[in-house]
Amino acid sequence: MIKPIVGHLILRLTIWLLLTSDLSGINLAMGLAIALLLPRPDGRSIAVGDWLRMLSKILWAIPLAYLEAFEMLLRPHTQEDIVLERVPPQRSSQLIFLDVFVITFTPKTIVLRYRQDYYEIHRLRPRRTGRELEGHESEE
Amino acid sequence: MINPLVNLFSYGCIGIGLLFWFWGTAFLPSRRSVLFKLHMLSIADTLGSMAILLGLLLKRPQEWPLLVLAIISLAIWNTVLGYVLAYCSTTEATHD
Amino acid sequence: MSWILIAMILALLIPIYEACKDENIWQKMLAFASIASKTAMISLFVSVLRDDWMLGAVAVIILSVGNAGLMLLAHVIKRVSQA
Repeated sequence: MIKPIVGHLILRLTIWLLLTSDLSGINLAMGLAIALLLPRPDGRSIAVGDWLRMLSKILWAIPLAYLEAFEMLLRPHTQEDIVLERVPPQRSSQLIFLDVFVITFTPKTIVLRYRQDYYEIHRLRPRRTGRELEGHESEE
Repeated sequence: MINPLVNLFSYGCIGIGLLFWFWGTAFLPSRRSVLFKLHMLSIADTLGSMAILLGLLLKRPQEWPLLVLAIISLAIWNTVLGYVLAYCSTTEATHD
Repeated sequence: MSWILIAMILALLIPIYEACKDENIWQKMLAFASIASKTAMISLFVSVLRDDWMLGAVAVIILSVGNAGLMLLAHVIKRVSQA
């Protein structure tokens, strides 16, 4: 288990150091003080395995997003439809946020809404005369 | 002095970014749904801008803290804005 | 490098045109979102061109705060149109 406070501290300190780009002691102390003073959101701690899986998913999403963009550039995606994806049970709110982030980051899919146990995903796809698509098209 | 290969690569990144900018934004004046344009804008504004920033990062590595921060905040905020816009625009549609 | 800047400004004209033309509020919001991130990118580019750290910091702040403002605006519009 990672204590949530450590994660928040690292994130805030990283942003502070990137913004000021000054590694001197006094600046480091200032950033640390601000990171500690900012109110921390209460959250349950997340298992390390879940974090690592999420991290690899986020890192993989970046090349995947560019791949999808080139695919859309070469082959026009004109059909729109809405699909539902189940949320794994016992998901903490941070992991749900990251899920929504990864799905929306890839250009073919956007999360429209998060319901209790599934995500509502809007999707673009290439023109194909699939009969299963027609029901969804009339909704749009 | 910048390595010519790195220079070429950075111009390539900026070129791809500009291509995404023009291609993704070109759909804005068309008569498509908001969600379709949102998909296209996520290509143009998120991925295109990230490619341009990567090109700049290769060109001026001494300004890396600022550019890395820009890439991170661009990716997070544009994606979250896309989600919020999709959410807000569709609830309105179903309520009307 | 300046031709890149010219191309970026040309790309910025598309969403500005759309924002002026379209009457639907959500299409306008999309155009504004595009304008926000494009202008921030242009100022960031200028800051790198001129080696100006302060301008770059301003651009990064615009990049995050401008989008946050649009998010709040989207929620306000949704509430108002539901009422």
